[in-house]
Amino acid sequence: MTLRDMVHVSAGNLRRLKLRTFLTVSGVVIAIGAFTTMLSLGAGNQKMIREQYEQLGLFSTVLAYPSTGDADSARALDDDAIREFAGLPGVRAAYPYDDFDVSVSYGDSTVAVRAQAIPPGANDAPLFTRLVAGTTITPDDSTGTLVLAEFLPDLGFASPEAAVGEAIVVSVRAASADSGFAYLVPDPTELRQRLEGIPPDSLGNRVFLSRFVRRELRDGTRRFFDGYLHAQRVVSDSLVIRGVLRGGDRRSNLREVVIPRRTARRFHEAGPGGEPRDLVPALMNGDLFGAEEGGDARSYAQATLLLDTYTSHVAIVDSLEARGFRAFSYAAQFDEVRRGMLFFNLALAGVGLVALATAALGIANTLTMSVTERRREIGILKALGAEDADIRLLFLVESALIGLLGSAAGVLLGWIVARIGSAIAQELMRRQSVPPFDLFSTPPWLVATSIAFGTLIAVLSGTLPAARAARVDPVRALRSD
Amino acid sequence: MGALLSVRSLHRHYVRGEHTVRALDGVDLDVAPGSFVALVGASGSGKSTLLNLLGGLDRPTAGDVLLEGRSLASYSRRELATYRATRVGMIFQSFHLIPHYTAIENVELGLYFGPVREPGERRSRSTELLERLGLGERLHHRPADLSGGEQQRVAIARALAGNPDVLLADEPTGNLDAENAALIAGLLREQREEGRAVVMTTHNLDLAHDAAERVVRLAYGKIAGEST
Repeated sequence: MTLRDMVHVSAGNLRRLKLRTFLTVSGVVIAIGAFTTMLSLGAGNQKMIREQYEQLGLFSTVLAYPSTGDADSARALDDDAIREFAGLPGVRAAYPYDDFDVSVSYGDSTVAVRAQAIPPGANDAPLFTRLVAGTTITPDDSTGTLVLAEFLPDLGFASPEAAVGEAIVVSVRAASADSGFAYLVPDPTELRQRLEGIPPDSLGNRVFLSRFVRRELRDGTRRFFDGYLHAQRVVSDSLVIRGVLRGGDRRSNLREVVIPRRTARRFHEAGPGGEPRDLVPALMNGDLFGAEEGGDARSYAQATLLLDTYTSHVAIVDSLEARGFRAFSYAAQFDEVRRGMLFFNLALAGVGLVALATAALGIANTLTMSVTERRREIGILKALGAEDADIRLLFLVESALIGLLGSAAGVLLGWIVARIGSAIAQELMRRQSVPPFDLFSTPPWLVATSIAFGTLIAVLSGTLPAARAARVDPVRALRSD
Repeated sequence: MGALLSVRSLHRHYVRGEHTVRALDGVDLDVAPGSFVALVGASGSGKSTLLNLLGGLDRPTAGDVLLEGRSLASYSRRELATYRATRVGMIFQSFHLIPHYTAIENVELGLYFGPVREPGERRSRSTELLERLGLGERLHHRPADLSGGEQQRVAIARALAGNPDVLLADEPTGNLDAENAALIAGLLREQREEGRAVVMTTHNLDLAHDAAERVVRLAYGKIAGEST
């Protein structure tokens, strides 16, 4: 008996018992439908994350940080280091993550935000080319800027298109060493009163003198930093919005305003930022009294390396670590995410598997009943030359057909449920002002896997009844009437 | 001429609780090619058991069934299945047609396990057989729509589909009226004339003597006599 004959005979049996077949297949449809919907949810999430990584170019991005290890091997993440990174084989560009506080004014609106500087060579990175409107900035553009779409309403722009070509004023508050020194000298009246308050006989006392000097130094230092941090000067620049960037993703780490590095340098040269947290880097860089003009001896907290398409991120990470830096690879992070998603998907598939287990019992029950009812038919087939294996295979083909039919219809059901679920989710996202994305995805591999899995489970369910059918004694079966 | 089918000291015992039923208890028989042997005897005499053993549906407790001198006991499962599909054709008292198949589909079933793999060839061969047996107008009728005689003719067509050397008919006229019984007996005789051996069990001594050249009487699982 050929497989075609078996399919023909089995399909005939299923057609004959329409209601029973319908009910058994329905169990598989619901189970595979649930299985497909659940895995579509997992696949949708994974696809969304992958697309974000791809759009941001993160698969070819590695971040470098200064090492927190022992002082001997640790290296500063300065411009020399970044130039070294850029020279590594497979690295297309390397630039520091340089952000600072600014206030942005347009019309009557003034908003305090963070600005980010991008060096020449990084302006064509995916991160800076995901534009909603306008164009990106060119390396030699000293008056242009990019802004995040989410930031525009704060400045009063009605649309991204309306912002392109408009000039905004970007200001930084720079700490000033001059004001620090100005504050260092105390108020003359206060100084005179304090000097007058010193008992003349105490001037010969060493203990008194030591305590006096310590107190004056402490007060002087306090006054210097008080002046340094609070009597700041404001440096402003008028920049034209060339393009509006799409943000909305914390992974991109994009700041509200993106400016060319040469523009940022003009701000840096005015002095360290006005925030106390900027003081330590300024002290470490020696920029406390203003950055060296034209040069840039700063060290950074983070640098970004853009890799060529086929460069191994592992090799670059190893190379950075060998040079005394810490490194972070988004591709490695995605692998971690994917591993996490695997467990998430397994948990989701578990829901479908419970339904599938129930459907499997239904198939086994149907086939067992079928074997009992068709004992005489089995006896006839054996009398006509069927081997036990033929009978076993006949029932397995029957269960496979139930599985195949049920799985195919189940995948369709799962897809429909996923589409409805996605439409509802996207509507809810729109209402919450979240950029909508497709929550479910039913890729071809999922369709194939669901159908194959459903069919396999059905065949496994049919194994026991099929073995029972193969064991039917033809003599007894033919005598049974 | 050598025997096509032989049985030697054939025993078939069944254990029923504490009792052993000796359905066959040392039977020897030879069936020559183109011969017609009728097995007669009361119910429980062992006729059907002998037929099932000859048809390879059952295994003897002791003794041998030999086809052209080779014991069926030496056949593998596959060889035994092939034997049933191509060397013997079986006909039963209650026809044993599959009720949801049409007449032609039932006959085609007799070809599923033989060498004819091509569906078109199976169909033409089954049509030809049914037409030869006078059922050309009944090809697509289901058994429930056929008379007893017609159903048995479909069963004969199915048994002949594999072009067997031996037809084994177990009470083929048991459920038929006299007219149809005579018709079926005539068809079986035709098969013998075409060179097939026929072994038929029956209660009907007249039919046995009319149709067969040898009538073997079984009683209590043994051969109790033979007439020609």
